[in-house]
Amino acid sequence: MKLSLADYFILSLYFCFVIGIGWKLRKSVTSAGEFLTAGHHVPVWITSLAFLAANLGAQEVVGMMASGAKYGIMTAHFYWVGAAPAMIFAGVFMMPFYYGSKARSVPEYLKLRFDEKTRALNAITFAVMTIFSSGISMYALGRMFQIVLGWSFDASVILSAVIVLVYTWLGGLTSAIYNEVLQFFLIVLGFSPLSIVVIARAGGWRGIQQRLPGAMTHAWKYLGSANQNPMGIETFGMVAGLGFVLSFGYWCTDFLVIQRALAANSMSGARRTPLIAAFPKMLMPFIVILPGIAALALTKMGTGYSLPVKGNSYDYDQTLTTLMAHFYPSGMLGVGLTALMASFMSGMAGNVTAFNTVFTYDIYQSYIRPGASDRHYLTVGRMTTLAGIGLSIAAAYLAVRFNNLNDLLQLVFSFVNPPLFATFLLGMFWKRATGHGAFYGLLCGTFAAAFTQGLSTAEGKGGWLAGLHDFPSQMAQNFWISIFAWTTCFAVTILVSLATKAPPEAQLEGLVHSLTKLPPDPAPWYRRPGPLAIIVAAVLIVLNLIFR
Amino acid sequence: MFDLRLPSGLFFVITGVVLIVTTDPGHINLYSGLAMFVFGAMLLLLAWRKTRVRKSAGIHTK
Repeated sequence: MKLSLADYFILSLYFCFVIGIGWKLRKSVTSAGEFLTAGHHVPVWITSLAFLAANLGAQEVVGMMASGAKYGIMTAHFYWVGAAPAMIFAGVFMMPFYYGSKARSVPEYLKLRFDEKTRALNAITFAVMTIFSSGISMYALGRMFQIVLGWSFDASVILSAVIVLVYTWLGGLTSAIYNEVLQFFLIVLGFSPLSIVVIARAGGWRGIQQRLPGAMTHAWKYLGSANQNPMGIETFGMVAGLGFVLSFGYWCTDFLVIQRALAANSMSGARRTPLIAAFPKMLMPFIVILPGIAALALTKMGTGYSLPVKGNSYDYDQTLTTLMAHFYPSGMLGVGLTALMASFMSGMAGNVTAFNTVFTYDIYQSYIRPGASDRHYLTVGRMTTLAGIGLSIAAAYLAVRFNNLNDLLQLVFSFVNPPLFATFLLGMFWKRATGHGAFYGLLCGTFAAAFTQGLSTAEGKGGWLAGLHDFPSQMAQNFWISIFAWTTCFAVTILVSLATKAPPEAQLEGLVHSLTKLPPDPAPWYRRPGPLAIIVAAVLIVLNLIFR
Repeated sequence: MFDLRLPSGLFFVITGVVLIVTTDPGHINLYSGLAMFVFGAMLLLLAWRKTRVRKSAGIHTK
């Protein structure tokens, strides 16, 4: 792929704007709160788009298009079943406790609701995971630009790291959030034309349906049995594994996204953040999944475009870049690559800003130096940003040496997030849940996930203890690992809580549903969480009916 | 805190103009450039309107 002057101009323009936004925001960052939590004064339309964009990294865009080509429209379940319901739940039920408790981070909420050891366990695992996530984003960026454009891996990694460092150092979380919104606009405007052109060339949705097997163009029809569809999953695994455990575990407890909602300027704004974000989220499959399905249809049509081949299968990971190279002229190619670069960088920035908040508040202020001045924590926050970027670069080079590092990280995510959702669910809705229950529930849930992976195989992976069961796909295995992890954590937390002393009710006010009185929402009815949630649910049902 | 619509709008107006003047046989640049230009101009208009409303209400920010 060769870039023209116009493409380089658009890329450079983007770099100037992201640094400019950080520069403009630098004067508003005068305290640790401003730097690490955006001072709780970001407008709701910005927090909503950032809430969505924080999850819309380049790996997501590239990966979803690849999955679209591999699994078909069932991939849209990651948005419809695996995101929108959880976002409704987060906005309506969970945000009042996060925002109302005045916790600055998810681990801090765990400390307020349970105890110090539960916070420490979550803070440390989260901090390590964010650094590796950020490093893998950098690694993926370096590899992609090396393969697609022939750029130097080192130069791509260092350039992106320096730009992210400059704008997060200057403007902190606000700067990261503002740039995520710009990235969201770029992704939508940069990839929508590709989607329109590719789908039109494939004969529209009807043309695609005629050229591909039914299992690729129906979201629900072939979910009756695991061997009927390319994903190898059945309805229960899909709904319970992806739709409940994995998605609620991510959208309701991952601090990376929750931090965006907590930056809102009011409780009402924080509650509306995931609900407003759910609207564009439900429509994203039209931009990131449908072109992948159309690419497969075009390959079968023999019109000049063909998915690249790797071994005796297609190299699905190259779907997006090959579509861009084939259909985009100079100019739009620059916009598309800038959108990819932007999403890689905001993926890094999102992880680094979540890391610096958790490290400064939940590790440094809690265990290393409590009671210092606000100015001191601001300096620590900035130095943690620098250290976070440095560690991310180290993680990127670690990924070069161990090319299965990303698989390992995804596995660790599926071990840690699902039990965490069980902990939060019990913590927020059952006043009898105790700190010991939460801590041992989390530990047992994580071990249960590891054992399930060790006792089962999928696509030749896993089964390091014994191969008791073979799943048709790794995705199916992941869904079932999550179900076992969640169930174990849920059961152990209940049992240990009942065997230990209940926390005093006075301590739980504002943290548990039955002991919290929500203040009346001053917003007009159509802007309140309830009606918004009903509209999101209605759109969700319509989309599922159309693509059933 | 400055209005994010200003830099975003400006970015898309400039990118839109660059695409409009970068011709291609399939006119993908032209149509995408026009869409970006209109989107950017709309953001700038909204930001300008908000500034005007704030000024007329006598609200000044630092």
